[in-house]
Amino acid sequence: MNLAVKGFIKALRSELLIARYTLSAWLVVLLPSVFISLQFLVVKMSETGAAARDSLLGQGGFDAMIANNAYGHFVDGLSTGLTLLGLLLVAQAAYSFSVDRDSGALRHLLIRCSSRRAVVLAKLLQLHLLALLAILLLIATSYLVSDSLWDFGPVVEDGFELIGEEEIASEIKLGLELALLPLPAAIAFGVLVSVVANSATQAVVSALGLSLVLDVFKGMLGEYAYYLYATFQPSLLDQSYLQDVGRLVRGYSDVLVDERFLELNQWVPLPALLILVVASLFVVQKRKV
Amino acid sequence: MSSEPPALSVTGLYKKYGQFEVLKGLDLALCPCAIHGLVGLNGSGKTTTLECILGLQDFDRGEIRVLGHGPRKLHAAQGRIVAIFDTPSLNPNLTVRQSLRQALLLCDGAARKPAEVEAQLGITKFSDFKIKNLSLGNKRRASIAHALLANPEIILLDEPFNGLDAGGVDEVLALIKDLNQQQGTSFLLSSHQLPYLEEICSHIAILHDGQIAANDEKSRLLGSVQSTIRIQTNDNHRAAKIIGQQAGLSLQTNTNTDILLVNSEKIGPADINRQLVEQGLAVSEIVAERASLDSLFRRITQEPNP
Repeated sequence: MNLAVKGFIKALRSELLIARYTLSAWLVVLLPSVFISLQFLVVKMSETGAAARDSLLGQGGFDAMIANNAYGHFVDGLSTGLTLLGLLLVAQAAYSFSVDRDSGALRHLLIRCSSRRAVVLAKLLQLHLLALLAILLLIATSYLVSDSLWDFGPVVEDGFELIGEEEIASEIKLGLELALLPLPAAIAFGVLVSVVANSATQAVVSALGLSLVLDVFKGMLGEYAYYLYATFQPSLLDQSYLQDVGRLVRGYSDVLVDERFLELNQWVPLPALLILVVASLFVVQKRKV
Repeated sequence: MSSEPPALSVTGLYKKYGQFEVLKGLDLALCPCAIHGLVGLNGSGKTTTLECILGLQDFDRGEIRVLGHGPRKLHAAQGRIVAIFDTPSLNPNLTVRQSLRQALLLCDGAARKPAEVEAQLGITKFSDFKIKNLSLGNKRRASIAHALLANPEIILLDEPFNGLDAGGVDEVLALIKDLNQQQGTSFLLSSHQLPYLEEICSHIAILHDGQIAANDEKSRLLGSVQSTIRIQTNDNHRAAKIIGQQAGLSLQTNTNTDILLVNSEKIGPADINRQLVEQGLAVSEIVAERASLDSLFRRITQEPNP
């Protein structure tokens, strides 16, 4: 087997072992699901209170019916979970390389089995595997908990089906796909910060700070913001297509999605990912470790 | 020096930190199966030298080869080169056993089992402790265990005795000896602990002013150092005169410490003591100081480099 590939595999196996035994990796996988489960419970309790009040007042109707449809909650859960997951992944990515450099653990990898570039690529892949686990768990949790608290079904008003389940599923699929596309670039951004920073604390703080400030920065960029991968990522200030899907599956027909925006969402994160990975591989060769 | 090609060679190594030139053409060669000590004052560049050898930082000029590999390609040696650093350099969130399992993943053919090295280094009872919760000494033991799982041909150690208690130092010294004698492992040890280096090393290199000021087999280096006798009496000036007349020497008293130093090759401590007492002097201290790495080190590092 090629020496570089062998080194990469060893580094990856080492990264996976470390992830298995460290709390921060488990937090990345579990926290979004735990958080949205709590969110669903709070929303359900608040809805139950409102329903009791409306029943006493003899009110109710479309809004109550819409609120009872699990699809809206399912999408809300995905949106919240992916916002949190995006931030957690950026933080974890920023922590990954820098903490190993701080502790000196990175040195053993470099001396014994892997090149610097192989270590960075192994960390990137490990973070993507963590993200994949977290996303699968998030989708399953969001679906199962919303199903247990509400009912999945088409959006119906006055006996007329406004949006069928097939259409809802297809919109959710598209929203999810578009929300997931920028995640690899977000991870690569965290890794780049990790490689550049002088310490783990500096890396995590800088990566999170920059991620949050990008939302503000995008407002100043106008049209050019569409060429920034982070525009399409579910975030605290911005809206990803997933948030629009949340409104769509609640029967709001005024959701107008710019086709150009959707197209950009599909390709902009990929060159961004490439640029960030290449920059990380370049910088890591220059750094003292 | 051996005629075999060196396991590690450093030629004309230059390294600057800003304007400060820490290494000025350093040359060093590590013979196969040798235990080579690298000593130097604080800030003399010992750690920088090791980090350059290990490819952890760049250098300005020079050439480094370790088992035929350049410093950035040590991983191509597939675990035949390992290093133990002055800080534990292990993931603090793993337990000792988990950390050793990770080390197993880094080497092709593990020579030992985790339980075996834990027992060898006396850390079996800390097996399930996280690295961050261990004492400094046990962290160091764990990091040595981490390195020993593989079957290294060369081990580079930076300050290996820091933080170890007396028992721990003995264990590490015994381990180094065993590995060297039974498996022919070569060692490059950088340390301030001169007595330990003197005990264990076959070769010594003294790093001073950015260059290797002395580098040879330990016996040859120490053979070049004269043994001395330290004397303190109630009248050192008179004592110096008496000993000088007897041995044909001109002696000087160190005015700071009020101690008389005599070259012991000319006269023995028993003779000196007898004569001083016969002349009515009260001898409060008489110590035969053998030629040591410490005395050689002090002599070299107090002299400006030519």
